[in-house]
Amino acid sequence: MDEKPAKPEGQAKAEGEDKQLNIKVKDSDGNEVQFKIKRTTPMSKLMSAYASRLGVDENTYRFNFDGNRISPSDTPDSLDMEDMDCIDAMVYQQGGH
Amino acid sequence: MSGIAQTRLLEERKNWRKDHPAGFFARPKLDDGKQNLMVWECGIPGKKETPWEGGVYKLVLEFPEQFPSQPPKCRFIPPLFHPNVYPSGTVCLSILDPDKNWRPALTVKQVLLGIQDLLDNPNIEDPANQPAYALFLKDKKKYREKVLAIAAQNRPV
Repeated sequence: MDEKPAKPEGQAKAEGEDKQLNIKVKDSDGNEVQFKIKRTTPMSKLMSAYASRLGVDENTYRFNFDGNRISPSDTPDSLDMEDMDCIDAMVYQQGGH
Repeated sequence: MSGIAQTRLLEERKNWRKDHPAGFFARPKLDDGKQNLMVWECGIPGKKETPWEGGVYKLVLEFPEQFPSQPPKCRFIPPLFHPNVYPSGTVCLSILDPDKNWRPALTVKQVLLGIQDLLDNPNIEDPANQPAYALFLKDKKKYREKVLAIAAQNRPV
């Protein structure tokens, strides 16, 4: 039994399987912070690393990739990310006052 | 299928993934899991300190075979209440008109930034949407309230 989940479209990622990706996080003012993350590491790690880097509470930001909200259990693999991809950090806000 | 258009759009997508204006998104549509480079789904955030702030407005860019000689057709889905957006959702903007200011060198990023700028700077010389145009001229306060309500409806989940 193959331990690794089958890749869509038979992508040959074998050689880069454990390689880390550089992912940029950009906030609404255009400030960028870059992180290295493994393809299989949950995005929750990156999210808390970003919050602690900025010295803010973990719930301050939500993160979007390609217009979709990133959930903590997503991984670069599940999101089909590539090296040097850029994700958006937005301040969490709620409507109604 | 036009090779020039495809090559250019592939390059645009590559650049976009690496860097794009904050809060925007732009991705080729997926048809049965396959990328269709000729149709992009995009989102434009309302500018800060305008009544559009807080909303992300979705639109579709359709690139013709003759792109980049010809501009993409940009359509808000659902149609947006705005003096320069046709009831169909199509954006009426000089940089998107091949007979006016369209240039083949304009990037997807520039087009989307141009549309973002249009949101709070409607051109009343060239209205495309009668109800929005009329309200904008007649009652700025009501118009603003309407825009605030639209922004609230379009907050990303």
